[in-house]
Amino acid sequence: MTALVRAEWTKLFSTRVWIGLLAGALALAILSSVLLTAFAGNQESGIPPVGDPLYEQLALAGPANSVVLMLVLGIIGTTQEFRHRTATPTFLATPRRGRVIAGKVVAYALAAVPFALVVTAVNYAVLAVYAGSRGEVPALTDDNLRVVITSALALVIYTVIGIGLGALIRNQVGAIVGGLVYLFVIEPLVRQFLGDAYPWLPGGALEALTATFQGPELLEPWQGGVLLLGYGLVAALLGTFLAVRRDVA
Amino acid sequence: MRLDGGTGPADEEEGVIPSVKSPVTGPVRVEVTGLTKVFGAVRAVSDLAFTVEPASVTGFLGPNGAGKTTTLRMMLGLVRPDAGTATFDGVCYADLPDPVRTVGAVLETAFHPARSGRNHLRVYCRAAGLPLTRADEVLTQVGLADAGDRRAGGYSLGMRQRLALATALLGDPAVLVLDEPANGLDPEGIQWLRGFLRHLAHEQGRTVLVSSHLLSEVEQTVDRVVIVGAGRLVREGSMDQLRSGADGAGTVLVRSPDASRLADALRADGTHVALVGETLTVTGRTTAEIGGRAFAAGVELHELRPHSSGLEEIYFQLTAGQEQYAAAPGTAEETPR
Repeated sequence: MTALVRAEWTKLFSTRVWIGLLAGALALAILSSVLLTAFAGNQESGIPPVGDPLYEQLALAGPANSVVLMLVLGIIGTTQEFRHRTATPTFLATPRRGRVIAGKVVAYALAAVPFALVVTAVNYAVLAVYAGSRGEVPALTDDNLRVVITSALALVIYTVIGIGLGALIRNQVGAIVGGLVYLFVIEPLVRQFLGDAYPWLPGGALEALTATFQGPELLEPWQGGVLLLGYGLVAALLGTFLAVRRDVA
Repeated sequence: MRLDGGTGPADEEEGVIPSVKSPVTGPVRVEVTGLTKVFGAVRAVSDLAFTVEPASVTGFLGPNGAGKTTTLRMMLGLVRPDAGTATFDGVCYADLPDPVRTVGAVLETAFHPARSGRNHLRVYCRAAGLPLTRADEVLTQVGLADAGDRRAGGYSLGMRQRLALATALLGDPAVLVLDEPANGLDPEGIQWLRGFLRHLAHEQGRTVLVSSHLLSEVEQTVDRVVIVGAGRLVREGSMDQLRSGADGAGTVLVRSPDASRLADALRADGTHVALVGETLTVTGRTTAEIGGRAFAAGVELHELRPHSSGLEEIYFQLTAGQEQYAAAPGTAEETPR
């Protein structure tokens, strides 16, 4: 398994896809924190002022806005094998296909940790400077610290979900478009019209995980985290089940 | 139809001292039995059985759409057969303890376009637990040492074939399976590939199976042939056996200003001659026989050369009408995708 994980890392870091996606994740996190801080205390925006605990936790959860890019990173991790037809040499080297998918899950979960740390650290640095200049640097204690950690964790879990989704839908464009449509169209619709189901969806689980002040309808943070990870692993298991059966022609 | 397996290497190769470098796993015999695959209404491969012997190059021949690629993919566990098995010394590919060190395959010339050739190879060194230096060794072996750090997306078709071959060689395997490896190679590359495959088989004792839809492409390389048509075995045997069937079917081309007189002289012996203008196509006579006949008849010759060995005709007869998609142009793909 160590060999397969290292093979996946060689694949990941021998093209430049990861640089673009890391840059995108950073940009999205910074953008959300900067906008939030810029409009903090603005009456019309409804955002609490700098120094307010709610403001701080919203701003520290900025990295969670980048989950979509980590989802794409995971999707590309599996679908590139089919898009570029490297599935043939990959499955020749490892005929037990379940091991290939398991290797990807482990490799990308581990690779996502430094990604998440970088995004979280840069986001905090931006906040320290900007929020500091507007009043108060958010302290990394208690609830604030929990938000920072769970946001970073969300990035890692979404990478695993991406791997699973890519194994299920082998078409790269289809998997990415499908993922985006789900996140930005289907889930908001469910949230609006089928509110009872929302806490059990990935978006609801993500909100529960990183939630600052829990709404009554959301799960506990740890439940949200477990549910999210469950989605990723179920997708990977289903993907494995299909990968073993489907012909590689 | 199955001729008994003449399995030895070609005569001219005997007596060559085996190279020091032989595969670690020793000779491996490949056995295919009852292999069957149905795609919808099409029986792509039907109850196919043959063997591939060590220390020889076996040609896997058949027209496009005969099921060659599907068969190779089933042998390597990429496509699930509906029936039958393919084994390497009795073990299915998926059950091989160390597949990369046992079998190397060239099936695909597709690579991640943004990854360098060297990094592509390093991925599979990692996956198979081989030292990364193997990547450099096989790059040198296939003549890509200078292109190793370039993106594979910029490789020519010939370079892709070489990189695919390098990938197959990583584990120093006892068996090599190659699907149409000459596609995209320039004449020099094809020459090199022929010599390389013969070296791997005859001097290193490896088992080599190479598919092609053109007999002429592999005629000089292979010792044995497995010919398929419409997913079924048409003939299996040594090249010598195939050649003996071709005796008398060869043609010779003759050009003479006095062609009709030579044609008459040859026809008087009962020889089949086709006459077009100044050119004769003579069937079943050697160039020496025809030259002698012309000399005796006092006919001036401008050209006298073998036109075909007759093997191509035999191959054509064996596979004629066997194409799955013979009547449908534009469906030359080997397997339904």
